[in-house]
Amino acid sequence: MSILKETTEVLGHLLEAMPSDSLFAIREEAASFLHEKGIPSKRHEDWKYTNIKRLFDHGLTIASGEGQETRDEGIVPAPTVQFSNSSVNRNFPTIDGVTFNLFSDASELNKFIGKSGIHNKQELAALNTTLFTDALVIHVEKNAQPTQSLLIDHGVSAAESEFLNSRILIVLEDGAKLNCVHHFHGEAISDNSLVNHVTEAFIGANASLELNFLQEIGTGNLVNTTEVNVERDGRFTTNTVQLSGKLIRNNTNVRIAGQNAEAHLNGFYMIDGNDLYDNHTLVDHLVPNCQSNEVYKGLLSGKATGVFNGKVHVHRDAQKTNAYQQNKNILLSDTATMNSKPELEIYADDVKCSHGSTTGQLDEDAVFYLRSRGLSHKGAIALLLTAFASDVLEQVSDEGLRAVLEEKIQSRLFGME
Amino acid sequence: MSLLKIDNLHARVEEKEILKGFNLTVNAGEVHAIMGPNGAGKSTLASVLAGNSNFEVTAGSALLDSVDLLEMAPEERAREGVFLAFQYPVEIPGVSNTNFLRAALGEVRKHRGLPELDAKAFLAYIKEKKEMVELTADLAGRAVNEGFSGGEKKRNEIFQMAMLDPKLAILDETDSGLDIDALRIVANGVNKLRSKDKAFIVITHYQRLLDYIVPDFVHVLYNGRIVKSGTKELALELEEKGYDWIKAELEETAA
Repeated sequence: MSILKETTEVLGHLLEAMPSDSLFAIREEAASFLHEKGIPSKRHEDWKYTNIKRLFDHGLTIASGEGQETRDEGIVPAPTVQFSNSSVNRNFPTIDGVTFNLFSDASELNKFIGKSGIHNKQELAALNTTLFTDALVIHVEKNAQPTQSLLIDHGVSAAESEFLNSRILIVLEDGAKLNCVHHFHGEAISDNSLVNHVTEAFIGANASLELNFLQEIGTGNLVNTTEVNVERDGRFTTNTVQLSGKLIRNNTNVRIAGQNAEAHLNGFYMIDGNDLYDNHTLVDHLVPNCQSNEVYKGLLSGKATGVFNGKVHVHRDAQKTNAYQQNKNILLSDTATMNSKPELEIYADDVKCSHGSTTGQLDEDAVFYLRSRGLSHKGAIALLLTAFASDVLEQVSDEGLRAVLEEKIQSRLFGME
Repeated sequence: MSLLKIDNLHARVEEKEILKGFNLTVNAGEVHAIMGPNGAGKSTLASVLAGNSNFEVTAGSALLDSVDLLEMAPEERAREGVFLAFQYPVEIPGVSNTNFLRAALGEVRKHRGLPELDAKAFLAYIKEKKEMVELTADLAGRAVNEGFSGGEKKRNEIFQMAMLDPKLAILDETDSGLDIDALRIVANGVNKLRSKDKAFIVITHYQRLLDYIVPDFVHVLYNGRIVKSGTKELALELEEKGYDWIKAELEETAA
């Protein structure tokens, strides 16, 4: 079954493909939102540089989910939940205070799915809401703070034209803490397929969630939407590292709903060839005395395209907000392009908000200085670029993961021209 | 055989010719001071010898131990034992001193057929060299030259020189901007490194440094060439009379 370009047909197909289950009402809402908006094209401001419609025009087949088991060793030694394409392996790890379920198990928590309203705001999340067949549901009980990270291993093997919709719900009760490592990986993924993932997370009072995303999907296309709600004294951190993929779009939306809460959004990307990586962030400051901090940095070479769009919305009541954002890019070729756009909407008058965006070349004086001390040209560049990535990597709290990321970035750097 | 032999060197930056027939021979164990007014070509000489690609050599040669220095990449020069103490050391945010020094020392030692130092030996080596050049600044956990004062940056250059143990060190106005105490520390560091198989080219604007680093030869660089050479007394004469008398002498000869 294909989703075709005409939106009327999209709706028809969606209604047909939509599972009829307890989520039917929400799925219907999502479908009618899509019917109204259509698949976003480049005329759509939010998708100006990122041509996702091309994949739909080419034709996508809604895939049932299970792919081949691609699992070898996980990227970090940690309790692991295994995704194979969009289906979740039921073989859950045991972690004190953490409960795993599938949506199809009719968990008590299913009522949280769609509660963020993301399916009424963003088209790809709406598509996911309409079409996902099962979801991973993670619950961390009150004050439970597992010391180990949880690895969510997304093994992807999407074939020609396959459209995969995977979904995760995370609920942290008050005082709970969780550190997740999402590893999207796969070899030989069709460049006409699309993985459309959504994570909805609800962070209770004084709870803390860290979501690390490592994206290395070869020639695949990925839209990864993360919708987070943070309550009083809560803390959300996300660190995204993008290393391979033909098109990757991250939508990270944080709703800061309780006082004294924090959001930290960080990203590092290395783009080459004709690839395009796009990070869209939205931080919604609804209440006073909160802070958000964003650091996105990237290296672009070849004919790569990068997009950063950081929207910070400080509502009228959100006095004493501290919101800081920076996006720094280094272009390693004359043919790479970076599109960077900070978007600050501030309706409160007693706030500290700042943003900075720079795109430039490597500092040749620094390269010469290092070479004059005996480092090779490549070695000097790798050292400088590793340093460039370091303030993002420092935000990764799992030391084992940080070491793996550093190593992967290093080896990519040495391979880059 | 001389350590460094520069013959009729011409170099330009962009379209401007700066070195116009520079000659200099340096033997192992010698200290040569090069003085001259602003714009004479002192820093260009240092940059050309270190291999800065912003400067283009248009004629002439420079041989290091009879091997063509100008053909070598900057890192090959460093590994062969050429060291430039920069006039303006570059700040490199994010690159830790430790990682930088480990990488640099590793490359240089590998080239010289020396085994890699393990972590403990490396730290001991750093400590020894820091003491040698009286570097008190804490380097660990800091980025290369970032947030260093002018004096600290210059001392850090001398420290790096001690670490890499070059056979030919070029000090490009290492004394400028230093107070008398810092100057003495820098000079002591250099003096401790002096030996019969090492040579130094000390480029300076002021005679003051040469009270502490006593040169074997003093050369006056003017308009891209050495116009006068002598011993340390020449530096004193320059300090007293300035450069005008040399210019006058030159004009006389020309006329």
